[in-house]
Amino acid sequence: MHQPTLTRENSRKIIHVDMDCFYAAIEIRDNPALTGKPVAVGGSPDKRGVICTCNYAARKFGVHSAMATATAFRHCKDLILLPVDMPKYKQVAKQIHAIFREYTDLVEPLALDEAYLDVTDSNHHAGSATLIAKAIRQQILQEEKLTASAGVAPNKFLAKIASGWKKPNGLFVIKPNEIDNFIKTLPVDNLYGVGKVTAQKLHKMNLKTCADLQKFSLLELTQQFGKLGQNLYEQCRGMDHRNVEPNRVRKSLSVERTFAQDIRNLDDCLNIINELCERLIKRVQESAPNLAIKNQYIKIKFNDFKQTSAEIISQEINLDRYLTLFRDAYLREVKPIRLLGLGVHFQDKKPLKSFLQQSLF
Amino acid sequence: MKISIDRETLLKPLQLVSGVVERRQSIPVLANALLKSDKKSFTLTGTDLEIELQGRIALEKISEAGEITVPARKLIDICKTLPEKAQIDLNFDGQKVIVRSGKSRFSLATLPADEFPKTEEFSATLEFKIPATDLRSVIEKTSFAMAQQDVRYYLNGLLFEVSDNQLVAVATDGHRMGYSSIEAKAPGMAQVIVPRKAVLELSRLLADTAGEVDVLFGSNQLQVKTDHYVFTTKLIEGRFPDYSKVIPTGGDKVLIVDRDILKQALNRVAVLANEKHRGVLFELQAGTLRITANNTEQEEAEEELNVNYHGGEMNISFNVTYLFDVINALNAGNMQFTFTNSDSSIRVEQEKSAENNNADVYVIMPMQL
Repeated sequence: MHQPTLTRENSRKIIHVDMDCFYAAIEIRDNPALTGKPVAVGGSPDKRGVICTCNYAARKFGVHSAMATATAFRHCKDLILLPVDMPKYKQVAKQIHAIFREYTDLVEPLALDEAYLDVTDSNHHAGSATLIAKAIRQQILQEEKLTASAGVAPNKFLAKIASGWKKPNGLFVIKPNEIDNFIKTLPVDNLYGVGKVTAQKLHKMNLKTCADLQKFSLLELTQQFGKLGQNLYEQCRGMDHRNVEPNRVRKSLSVERTFAQDIRNLDDCLNIINELCERLIKRVQESAPNLAIKNQYIKIKFNDFKQTSAEIISQEINLDRYLTLFRDAYLREVKPIRLLGLGVHFQDKKPLKSFLQQSLF
Repeated sequence: MKISIDRETLLKPLQLVSGVVERRQSIPVLANALLKSDKKSFTLTGTDLEIELQGRIALEKISEAGEITVPARKLIDICKTLPEKAQIDLNFDGQKVIVRSGKSRFSLATLPADEFPKTEEFSATLEFKIPATDLRSVIEKTSFAMAQQDVRYYLNGLLFEVSDNQLVAVATDGHRMGYSSIEAKAPGMAQVIVPRKAVLELSRLLADTAGEVDVLFGSNQLQVKTDHYVFTTKLIEGRFPDYSKVIPTGGDKVLIVDRDILKQALNRVAVLANEKHRGVLFELQAGTLRITANNTEQEEAEEELNVNYHGGEMNISFNVTYLFDVINALNAGNMQFTFTNSDSSIRVEQEKSAENNNADVYVIMPMQL
């Protein structure tokens, strides 16, 4: 099949840098006695905490991030659990970010531990993205004593896949003329926008790799998957038009609480929602005062780890709407509740100047 | 009760009364008009318990005095559809009111007059005469700014204030305010808040009124009288905000622009203003006003006007609806905006000149940028 390739598209040079087990690596760096032992950073098991990061020694036992800490200890009884020291990690992230900025201004941080860099127009290392990626990894190792993995490719999607390819402490490059071959064997599970549910759906259709997916027309994919179809159509051909956006607009903001004990009493839930709602309002005022809210959503995790969510279009944070959403979502399962989260999605277009009518008196 | 009357004489007061009669009334008798005749006159009364309107007709001959209520709407529709100059006879036979005209005959259901809500005794605390056009003018210039169903119930109406031989009308919904004043030979000082519906009804009434009207302030009622009608409304109790504190006086940035030119520019820009909050942005710098708007679809409108402005660069945004309301209340010619800063209320009025010493002032609160 003919692959439509845009010359301008494939002439971009994107680097994805991903720190290796970032939080755990920092803790081990600061306490060399931990070297070689299974280490994890996260919340404590008696408070139903989860693992944020763990090193590769811990991963060997099957421990992974987002796993309940209690489960992690079942996998690895000698796991060394350290509390989360966010201010420290933020400080390190800031220094690493400064290294990126030496090479380009087009840096889009994804989280504390990863970022996209667009070095298409960078003059460093004769404009070689591969050499720049090498240099960045080298500099992070020298200055911060931490290892990073990097991927180099003509777009964000492939760069991110590439950075994971040789993890940890690796560098992988996908050149424009290698895309076709590389993508064909790539499992569909690796595409962005494909989570558990879509992956299952794809597998049921016997679609395992991008080559399988390439057999479908844009129309067919759109009919099957809606908006995501267009995404899949492009991704399975190694295309991704997204720009590296240095001032990426926040898309959502949420607050949540995992309970030390499952909540069985509805009145307690209503009080907690009230409390979370106040926290959310504060967070939005602090972190996203100028963004226009698109909808409100609620997330409930039940004691059997089944999760459900509900959302409603809204321009503001409205407590009554959260209570309505809660009732709708809760009635789907009616089970003791382990976690409650409230959030808002923001308008994904550039933030509107917030027009808020003020009052005379 | 038995009277004979020509169609036009009856129709006019009947139509006045119809504005007050509720369409979906809770009490049946409120759908009715009270007809009452005595030796000298014939009156028709409609009420919604808040507003009462009584139309009066001087009659040369009344054959039988009496009072009864009939469905107002139906009586109007009958009169309207009868031919012009038709002679109408109304006769209450103890059960029904029989309407006769030429070869037409109608019998209307009635309810006894004593079921009709009695007017409260009205005692005036202050009374003055004013040309109907003057009274209507202050209402027209301000009533658009009244609140609608605001929890601050005292904003759901119009403030009339009499002091220093002036009649002042003020309305505000908390976001903008209209102030209009006119000379009136009124003694003393008093304030009343007239409910929204009554204000709109009174304005309609005054549009058809020539000459002077009597205005009477009562302790909980307001009355406006002519030879042809008596309009009575209950008042809103409560304290109206101190308007003199709301009108800004310290602004130093003055923009002068032709009303019609601004209106046309805003009309165009407003097409792409956000449908919900209707925000438009004014970007001011020496000699120019740039107006922009955008909507959720990220469409944008931009207009640039040459204006008289020397106040230094400033950006300020408004709900365009509030601007239109003020523009429509002002006369053609130059209008003057006075700004303090982007966050403070602005003052809008007709540009002062030798021919124009109009004291009407509008205040608009900007939107937060």
